[in-house]
Parts: sequence; structure tokens; C-alpha cells
Amino acid sequence: MNVKNLVLVPEALVAAAAVLLLLGSRLGWFGSSSRRYLPAAVAGVAIVALGVELWAGATVSTYFGGGLVQDRFALFAKAAVLLALAIVLAVADWTAEDSVSIGLAMPLLAAFGVMVAASAGDLVALWAGLELAAAAGVVMVSLRRPDLALRLVITGGVATSLLLIGLAFLYATAGTSDLTAMREVLFGGAPTIALAIPLFLAISGLALRATLPPYHLAGIPTILGASPVGAGLVLGLVAAAAAVVAIKVAAVLTPIPSVYSSYLEVIAAVAMVGGGAAALAVRSPRARMAYLAAGQIGWVAAGLVTHYRAGLAGSMFLLGAFAVAATVGPAVMGRAEGGEPALAGMAVLRPARAAGLTLAMLSLAGAPPLAGFFGEFAVGAALAQSGHFGLLALGILGALLSLAAAVGTLRLIYLQSPLEEARRGAALPVLTRLSTFGAVAFCIVIAAYGLLSNPILGLADQGAEALGLR
Amino acid sequence: MILMAIAAASPTPAPVVPGAGIFTSPLLMSLLVWVTVVSAIAIAILPNPRGRYDVLMKQIGFFTNLGLVFILFVAYNQFEAFLPTAQYEEKVPWLQAIGASYHLGVDGPGMVMLILSGLIGIISVLASLGVRERVRTYFVLLLLTQSAINGAIVARDMFVLILFWSAAVVPIAILILGWGGPRRHAAAWRLVGYWGLGTAALVIGTMVLYAAAGGSSFDMDVLLKATISPRVQLVVAIAMIVAAATRLPLFPLHGWARDVYAEAPIGVTVVVAGSAARLGAYLLLRVVIAAEPAAAHLLSPVLAALAALTVGYAALAALRTIDIRQVGAYLSMIPGGITMLGLAALSPLAIAGSVLSLFAGGMAAALIVSACATLADRAQSRSLQVLSGLAPRMPILAWLLTIAGFGILGVPLFGTFLAEILTFFGSFKNQPIGAFAVAAGLVIAAIALASLFRRVLFGLPNPDAPGVSDASLGETWYLALLAGALLWVGLFPSGPKLPGTDTPLFDQGLVNVLAAGISDISSPYTGATPSPTP
Repeated sequence: MNVKNLVLVPEALVAAAAVLLLLGSRLGWFGSSSRRYLPAAVAGVAIVALGVELWAGATVSTYFGGGLVQDRFALFAKAAVLLALAIVLAVADWTAEDSVSIGLAMPLLAAFGVMVAASAGDLVALWAGLELAAAAGVVMVSLRRPDLALRLVITGGVATSLLLIGLAFLYATAGTSDLTAMREVLFGGAPTIALAIPLFLAISGLALRATLPPYHLAGIPTILGASPVGAGLVLGLVAAAAAVVAIKVAAVLTPIPSVYSSYLEVIAAVAMVGGGAAALAVRSPRARMAYLAAGQIGWVAAGLVTHYRAGLAGSMFLLGAFAVAATVGPAVMGRAEGGEPALAGMAVLRPARAAGLTLAMLSLAGAPPLAGFFGEFAVGAALAQSGHFGLLALGILGALLSLAAAVGTLRLIYLQSPLEEARRGAALPVLTRLSTFGAVAFCIVIAAYGLLSNPILGLADQGAEALGLR
Repeated sequence: MILMAIAAASPTPAPVVPGAGIFTSPLLMSLLVWVTVVSAIAIAILPNPRGRYDVLMKQIGFFTNLGLVFILFVAYNQFEAFLPTAQYEEKVPWLQAIGASYHLGVDGPGMVMLILSGLIGIISVLASLGVRERVRTYFVLLLLTQSAINGAIVARDMFVLILFWSAAVVPIAILILGWGGPRRHAAAWRLVGYWGLGTAALVIGTMVLYAAAGGSSFDMDVLLKATISPRVQLVVAIAMIVAAATRLPLFPLHGWARDVYAEAPIGVTVVVAGSAARLGAYLLLRVVIAAEPAAAHLLSPVLAALAALTVGYAALAALRTIDIRQVGAYLSMIPGGITMLGLAALSPLAIAGSVLSLFAGGMAAALIVSACATLADRAQSRSLQVLSGLAPRMPILAWLLTIAGFGILGVPLFGTFLAEILTFFGSFKNQPIGAFAVAAGLVIAAIALASLFRRVLFGLPNPDAPGVSDASLGETWYLALLAGALLWVGLFPSGPKLPGTDTPLFDQGLVNVLAAGISDISSPYTGATPSPTP
């Protein structure tokens, strides 16, 4: 088989698995015993897709008349999201999910959406990928809390409107929807208020999708009410899709950064500091994780402010760490209905999960020597290179607040004695070989991200170069 | 992966000096950093049903540290005391896109810090043998803390330094939260706050330096040798002073010290007071004094003032407080002030004194806080209104507390005496006011100690006090090791010699080792040409 054709195999595998799961669910193909084998089988599909992506994804090619582009950026983002997908499917406690088949299908669809956005060659594919990921999130939330799903639909609609207005004006300005061509046109253009205002709206829409403070008011309750996998989907995959769109749009706009950088700087600063402060203020472990994630996605936005290759590469590098930690974190945590008591003494009862949760919290907080620290440091170096010392200082402040918040949760996990079932408020995650394996794999990924940061950051750097940055 | 990469990297350059050792290893520095991490992982995954293997975990912690001391002994004895540059270097590209590398190495002052950290490591384990609850978690965190401290000492790349510097915060905070005294929450959060502020200052200072040096490398050989404008030097130096002041601690950024030293478990206070806090002065020495001479000249009066304020405040606070653990906490701040005075003087003699003070002061600080904590434990009270006339009933602890007090004051025969002599002789010319103020602070500290001894050890016994017992064998061991190290350096600063000859026995002497880097560090202030990097 031609290697060029193999490049689309991961997308095909993920989409086909999702469709089969939905059909099977509808037609009653899966019996009650499916809980035992389906997660392992679907996680296996994700691992195969990841393997194919890493093997064949280095081939640079275009598809569908330029609608999809396979470059280093796509390779990086797709690999990151497939890795997050495989681990979350393995580590999840499927007894805590409302439907196994839909619970497996929606993360697949969301990952497919991120993959489409990552390899998007034009505005349409970019938007379609983001909407697909977001729609999967709505379905997941609706399984448990239709009221929150409705809220997500409404805020998602607002986000989509804002984004579409922005992208439409961008299209009108450049006269093309092709991202590469658009960038070339903008090289000769000048920054105007007429362009800055719609971009303001588009960035707001993306921030709403990524649940970034101060646009988090609708997103956080949704994350709290969803099942563990649903929460990870909204927190990790949908936010990653929004970040991928933001990175691609920022790369297009690098010839005229002044139209967006000031507003993005404010968004990043508020997210970094606000995320950390809110994480410190809340008591619920899942809410804390959501705010830690919001703080880290603020760092991703900060990297875009630099509008340099190093900054975008740093953002991508951090996005990889974020996608894995934020997607898997809620699944490792399990049921969160019990609030803080649900985690008391988790280290004694579920040591592998406790280790995974610890690393997820610390990585999202940017604690060394974990994945998040390396990513935030790379972004910080880019901010220093570009002279954004104020933003860097605010980011460090946010990271410190996040770190203090994470220590608060670790205290619960390691220092408190386990409570009996009635006082715990939520059942402990069911122990299976697959979930233990998933938790261990997650720990290894988060810890090894730093050790392997040279090739990973190198790939991210090539990804930034592929977006046209020098 | 990193270890494999290191193994594949070029080894330490072959010794060029006759008599160089045969035990040199290209992995020596990495071993010092990562052996404790491997042990921590081993303890973390070891099955331990109902605490059956708690003792084994303590043994793993102890023998890991014993192994580290052996490695250090090799490194110390093979160290070329006449080479002023970094030795045992390891360098592997890490984050090439931003210019960060896994670069480790050690020079004279670094070797002094490593010896301190190694000894403190084993003493902290000995001081932790009494831990009964959650032994696994405790020793995992303790070993990770030691790894972070060793890593910060041997870092030759600012990225690696930041990584290890900040990595110590979380384990120490959890250790305090989990095993600390009644006010442990306040202590832990204050530690996180102050050390977090210090880390933030370190990161910002590093980033400013990185940007000013061209934004291509975090390697100290590049960053600290780059030509930087005095204005940028000043910004970097202020950030580094804030970072150092939060760690050492220096007035007014000392807010964590009282609570942490008074509330943390004894093994943790030994680590924090003995080696983790000394990293502050070490950072200042490495980044500001050695590399930013213009800023160092400009800010040296500020450093001297901070030194004087720290010593004076600590002595006065120790005089006024009625909690014996807090007395120990305040007194343990004094060596930091003396180290800072030596750095402020910017003369080779004073800098040598301050480097020796890193070791001797670290030992003395660890000894005073742990002696006070042990005494409070054994007397079942922390209140000076209750503790009285204990010397006849706890003679061993009385001796050890007295030795600790003498160590803090720097009386002859103790390592701190030599450090203070060098520091004061080197600083009276350049910083006379600061030196006099620090000396005055030491006088107040002597009064505070005399008052403590008179009341607690030699006063009239309190009939209403709870029962007391003397130090156990284990407590005597770790306290005596601290006291012994202080005395060893005081008695043999250049190492013991074969009788009638100049041939060293087994210790080439801390003073000889630390002198290796002093000429380079002080060269901007003496007009001497620094040695070229090999």
C-alpha cells in the first residue's frame, strides 16, 4: 500500500470504530459482557492508530484538494490526541459510565475531530473538526445530565457563532479559506480595527470552547456533572481541539500579530492566574482539576502571544502534555460525587490510580519534573525571548497558585485515612487489570515526557515550521 | 533514557594532573542525583501489607544514603583541589530548541555543598527512624527531597537548576503536612508561599539573563559568562537575592522558618536547615557574586544590611520567644546571615569564609534545630516556662544542646569558628558597618543562648513539669554525628596529616577543596584573570 494512503488510516480506524460502536449500540450487538472486552478492544484500536500515525505520519502530503494537510504539526497533534485517547479508554472505570458503547464512541469521535482540525488545510475543516469534538462532548454530558448538556449546547452555540463571525471576516479579508494562501495574502496586508474586532470575537469563541477563565462559567459545571470519561472529553479533547484551532489561526495571522496579540495576552493572563487562584479556592477535586487545566491552557495561549516559531512550538509541546493529563485526569480520579472525602486515603486503596491522579494534578499545575513543567518552561523561554516578561511573571504566579492547589489534593490522597463507603460519598473505582495497566502507562507517559522532551519539542518545532513560521 | 544518553556522552576529561584518581566516573554526578530517586521508586512499589516491611523501607533509605556517602567520598578524594574549574562534568542536550542541556558538574564550593548534603542526608534518615505512620510515603518523599537538593547543587545549566530547585517544594510541604506538629498546616503553606516566591524570582531572573544573553542557551558556561549590561545585571541580581533570601532565609523573607523548623518532623528540619536552606547562599555565590560583578558591587551594602538584620532579628527573637523549638528555629537563621556577610564583602578571604560557612553553618543550624526539637520531645513540653533544670536528668541532650549553641556562636574548635574568622577578617575592610552589626547580633545571640542554658539546663527543676528522659541511642547518634562533623572541620580544616608530614590521611581538607573555586569566583574583585573553561 502507498504510504501516502496509510496516512489517513488512523482517522479511518478511529471514525470506523466510533461508527461501529454507535451502530452496535443501536442494533444491540453488544451484550452485558461487553463491558469486559470492549474497552480493551477500542483502546487497542487507538494504539494501532497511534502506531500507524507514528510510522506513516511523517509523510508530508495533502488530501481532498488541500482540505486536509499531513505535516509535522498534524503528526504531533494527532499523535498526542491518540495517545490520550488510548490511555483514557484503558484507565476508565466503565462501571461509572452510563453507556459503555456510547462512552467509547464519543471519545473516538472527539479525537477524530481534533485530528481533522490538526490536519485542516482550510477554515472549513478547522471549524468542522472543532464542532465534531464539541458535539461529542455534548452527547457524553447528556447521558448523565441532559440539563447540563443543554447548557453546553447553548454556550457552544454562542462559541460557534463568535468563531464563525471571526473566521468569516478573516475569509472576507483574505479572499480565500486556504490557510497557506491566507497567510501569504496577509503578508501584504495591514492590521486594521475591522479585522481586530472579528478576531476578538473568534478568540472569545475559542476561549469559551476551551473553558478558559473568564469564559468558564458554563463549562465548569458541565465538567462537574459529567461522567469521568465525559469530563475528560470536555476538559481535555474539546479544549485541545480549540487550542489546535487557535494555534493554526495564530500561525495564519503572524504577519499581522497586532490584531490579536493584545487580547490574547489578556486572555492568557486571566486564564493562568484565574485558573490557579480558582483551583486554590475550590474544594471539589474535579473542579480543582478543571481549573488547573484552565490555567495550563492559559500557558498555551501565552505561547501564541509571542507570534514566534519558538512560542508556537512551546505551545504545541505543552498542548501535548495538556491533552494527555487533562483527558485522562478525570478518568483516573473516577467518581467525584463525594467531593474531597472520595479521595481520602486513595493511595492505600488504589495505589496505581493514586499515583496517576497525583501526576495528573502535578503536571497540570506545572510541577517539576513532569510533562507540564517542561511545556510551561518552553513557553516561558519563548516569552522571555520575545520580551513578554509581564506575562511570564503572571504565568509563574498562576503556576505557584496551581502548585499550592495540587498539594492540597495530594494531602487528601496520601495523608488522610480511607473512609468507609457511606462517608466516602462515592464508590471506589473498580479494580481491573486494564485500568491498572492504563494508570501505570499514564504515569510513565507523564514522567517520561520530560525525559523525551528533546525529540518531542523537536517535533513540535518542526510542526511550528510546517505552519510557516521561521 | 537520560541515563543512557549520559552513558553515551563523552566521559569526563581524563585527568591531566599526576596523581589523579582511578575511580573517576562519567556518571558520578548523575549517580548522586538519581540513586535516591531509584530508591524512592523501589520503596514506592514495594509491597507492604500492614506495614510489615516498614523497617526494610527505613533500611533502604539508610543504605541508599550510605551508598551516596561512599560515592561522595570517592568524588571528594578524587577531586583536583588545584583545578578551579568544574569537574566530573556531564553534558547531554535536553531541550535543544530552547538551549537547555542536562549539564552537571561540581567545583570547589559545589563539592563542599555536596559533602554537606551527603552527611545531612544520612543524618536525616537516622533522625527519621522513629517515624511510625505511613513509613513508605515518608521515606519516598525524603529521598526525593535529597535528590532535588543534590541536583540543584551539581546543576551547571540554569534549566536543570530551576528543575531541581523547585522540585524540593512539594515533597517537603507534604512531609510537613503529614508528619508535622500541631501548626503543621500553617508551616507547610508558608513554606509553599515563600519558596514559591523564591522559585518565581529565580525563574524570572534566569529568563531575563537568558533573554539578555541572546536567548540561545541556559548553560551556565554561556549565561554566566555573557557580557550583560549593568542594568540587566542589577535586575538579575535582585531577583536572585529574593530567591536566595527566601531559602536561606534572610530577613524580611524569613516568614516560613519559624513555623517550619518548629513544626516539621525532626528528620525534615535537619534536611531543610542543613542543606536545602544553604542552597540560597550557594545560588547567590554562583550566579551573582561569580557572574554579575557590577551588580554585586552595587548591591553589596544591601547584602551586608540583610545579613546584619537577619542575625540581629534572629538573636532578638530567640531572646524573646518562650517556645524552645522556636528558639532553635531563630538561632538557626544566624549562620545564614554570616554566610551572607561573607558574600557581601566581595573579597577572596570573606568568600572563602562564606563557603566554609555553608558547610559549618548548615551543620550548626541542623544541630540546633534538631537538638531543641529532641529536647522538647523528651521533656514533653516546648514551653520555656515549663522546661527548667534539665541538665541532671538529661545529661546527653544537655551536652549536645550546649555544643549546638557553641556551634552557632562559632567558638574555637568548631568549624563555624573558622568560617566566622575568615568571614569577619575578609569583611571588616569592605563592609565594616555590616561586619560590626553582625558581630553585635552574635553578642545578642550569645545572651539568648546563655539565657536558654541557664533556664533550661541549669535552672531550678520545675516540680510541675511532665516527666523527662534523656536522648535515646538513635537520637544521640544523629545529634553526635552533626556535632562531630562540626568539630572535625574545626579541628582539621585542612584534613588530618600523617604525623610529622604534610601527607593527608584520607581527607584532603574542606578548606583545600573549597579554595579550588574561590580564585575564579573572586577574580572580578581582585583584578585576577579567571581561568579559561577547559
